[in-house]
Amino acid sequence: MKRIVLSLLVVFLFASSFNAEDGKKFGNDLTVKEKTLISKILETPNDFVGKKVLVEGTVVGVCKKRGCWIDIASDKEYEKIRIKVNDGEIVFPMELKGKTALVEGEVYVIQPHPEHKKDNEKEGDECVVPEVKYQIKGLGAVVK
Amino acid sequence: MKWRKFNRLLHRDIGYICFGLIIIYSISGIAVNHVDDWNPNYVIEIDTLKISEIADSSLSKDELAFLIIEKLSIRDSLQSSFKSSPNKTEFYFEGKTVYADAETAQVVVETVKDRAVFRETNFLHLNAPKKLWTYVADLFAVALILLAISGSLMIQGKKGITGRGKWLILLGIAIPVFFLLLYF
Repeated sequence: MKRIVLSLLVVFLFASSFNAEDGKKFGNDLTVKEKTLISKILETPNDFVGKKVLVEGTVVGVCKKRGCWIDIASDKEYEKIRIKVNDGEIVFPMELKGKTALVEGEVYVIQPHPEHKKDNEKEGDECVVPEVKYQIKGLGAVVK
Repeated sequence: MKWRKFNRLLHRDIGYICFGLIIIYSISGIAVNHVDDWNPNYVIEIDTLKISEIADSSLSKDELAFLIIEKLSIRDSLQSSFKSSPNKTEFYFEGKTVYADAETAQVVVETVKDRAVFRETNFLHLNAPKKLWTYVADLFAVALILLAISGSLMIQGKKGITGRGKWLILLGIAIPVFFLLLYF
């Protein structure tokens, strides 16, 4: 019994040493070949809604608790876009921050919540008007 | 071999094999159960300080980075940076992000460290590796069912499933049912 268990442990250790990959992979394999500039998506987002895109940029934000989103810097200054994944399907670790990510996903729009708008109107708060947001639903990523 | 002896043997050996996995899933279960109250994966430290020199608007991003590295005595090399607004720049180091605000001359240093043991157990519990681990986790679930069944059939008589055992099993089933009726 001792010999079997020790042999299995050696096999596990040997197998785990083959885990080195060229970049860390998350979720599905990347299928889109052509990259789209994030600035282009942010400039005319409606042209991309519902379409699958491949974007590249520095990871400038990561969901701290659940790892369910990352923010990718645009090719233009001051701009970034959020890549949201379904909770648990992909978990982005915090050490990705500062690294370069190649992400595939579908652009979608988040409409302001009607209740939120109603509440603001009720309270006469003209400052907090929720905006339409564009995000990418992340399907797969490679981070280097 | 009598079936009860086989049952005992099965329960014992599956229990031994599952020992490590039960500990991993239990620790992580408690940790992620309270995700709203704490960060189960990381210890994040925030330090805020003032560096008056960064308020100089003529500084380029590289000069600003050099100044911050020098002032904060950062030994790691700079991975990348991001200008989030005309006055705000973020610098990324291994396990550290520095947020510099030229307008207020304020620098926020965010240091992220893994929460030892929890980070690894959560990684497995939440099936972040996917691939083969998915099947290991499935086998573990089947093993837990076997442990429950073999455990309940282990003892005969008054303290077995026909006596005290059935009431305790009923109690164990009633607890989730009660909460389902309450919250579902």
